[in-house]
Amino acid sequence: MLPAGASAAAGAAAPRTIAIDERLAADAHLRVGDRLVVRAGVDGPGDTVIVGAIVRRSADPSEVARDEYRVLMHLDELQTLTGYGDRVDRFAVATRDSAATDRAAGLINDDAFGFQAHRSRDIAVETSQTFLVVSRFHRAIGVITVVASAVFLLCIMLLKVDERRRDVAALRLMGISSATVLKSIVLEATLVAGVGSLLGVALGAVISAVVNVHYRGVYRTPLAFSIVTPGVVAFAVALSLVLGMAAGFLAARRLTRVNPLVLFGR
Amino acid sequence: MSDSAPVLSARDLRRDYPMGESPVHALRGVSLEVAAGDYVAIVGPSGCGKSTLLNLLGAIDRPTGGTVAIRGEPVERLSDRERTRFRLLHIGFVFQRFYLMPALTAGENVELPLAEAGMSRAERKARARELLTYVGLGARVTHRPTQLSGGEQQRVAIARALANRPALLLCDEPTGELDAHTGAEMIALFERLNADGTTLVVVTHDEDLAAAAKRVVHMRDGGVVSDTRVR
Repeated sequence: MLPAGASAAAGAAAPRTIAIDERLAADAHLRVGDRLVVRAGVDGPGDTVIVGAIVRRSADPSEVARDEYRVLMHLDELQTLTGYGDRVDRFAVATRDSAATDRAAGLINDDAFGFQAHRSRDIAVETSQTFLVVSRFHRAIGVITVVASAVFLLCIMLLKVDERRRDVAALRLMGISSATVLKSIVLEATLVAGVGSLLGVALGAVISAVVNVHYRGVYRTPLAFSIVTPGVVAFAVALSLVLGMAAGFLAARRLTRVNPLVLFGR
Repeated sequence: MSDSAPVLSARDLRRDYPMGESPVHALRGVSLEVAAGDYVAIVGPSGCGKSTLLNLLGAIDRPTGGTVAIRGEPVERLSDRERTRFRLLHIGFVFQRFYLMPALTAGENVELPLAEAGMSRAERKARARELLTYVGLGARVTHRPTQLSGGEQQRVAIARALANRPALLLCDEPTGELDAHTGAEMIALFERLNADGTTLVVVTHDEDLAAAAKRVVHMRDGGVVSDTRVR
């Protein structure tokens, strides 16, 4: 595919239009309305075409690592150019609705010998199996990291509460009941965990955005590499709250079971 | 102001701490009676049993032998939960290190025992302000402990100890963390408290504080060696 000179299309029929993807447009500095000569091979005959549209690349994980361009042409022109004639390996059929899709797929599979019709959704699921496995693997790593970090924080919280043993002792000597002390420590731990988890979610969202901006630039794709889903947020917040409350409860119970005088070190 | 009704009555108090085969006899039969409106200083060398006695008088610890009655209630018979409640309603504590809750304001620290006693929010706030004003911190109600000096923190601790109008205020080295000037202010505050009707028992090494009391009890080796009314 070469940029056409001003004389290339002179006297010929009006050139057909093609659509190119934004990666090609950026690399070749093409804009809508530019004329090009397209060829099937280096030495083949060429057709002059006009860039009619620049389209976004699809967010398809299978295309991320492919360093290639996508050009959309009219079918007859593509057939002529490639010399394949009336032959295609596969084509897509748009239907009105899901029921029409089922009917069309049924008709093709029943009557068109040599053809196999699939729903695009099924193909997408089939081709993304690898990515689903990778995604689950990443989720497992994420969960292990979050749980390990949470257990570490739980230990820190236990130590932090233990540092306040004299304050707790003073409260109990003043007549504040063990139940009140326990409730207040659990409440405080829950608040700390809640605020911490919200800050963590905000930090995660920022890091996720940075990761996406970086890798979208590297791979030039609209694909989302990192997604903070409501499920992930709910899991992180719930885990944080449960562990925070557990840590607060364990630490408080340990303190309230000890004689205040012992807590005072007397 | 002083009347003859005993607020505190301790008889033959003994407290042993198990230490292998030979227990430590921290208190060896101490008896003490404190009338309402009295101001008693307990003095003596370190390890003589002052703090142990205070713990028993304050229903914090249980005696090995003997009895303690506050307003006629024998506290050694109470369960742990009952003793906690008893301390809340009848005994105020002031410690050497103020032990204010750092996350709470001065007012909220004073409100703590009031909240535990079940007082309404509006009443708590009014009472806390009244007490902080009494100890000279009316303008510091919303300050946190870190924004207060040592003397001011001790004043807040005193206001907190007085919150539920206790029958008895027990103080353990209340001037121990304060400089001489602030300590003198604290002594003046204790005198004012006593003059206004608060019954005080103070354990101290501070001679000035002891000299301000109406009665001085000297202890040595777990026993009372002298009990002198000085005014």
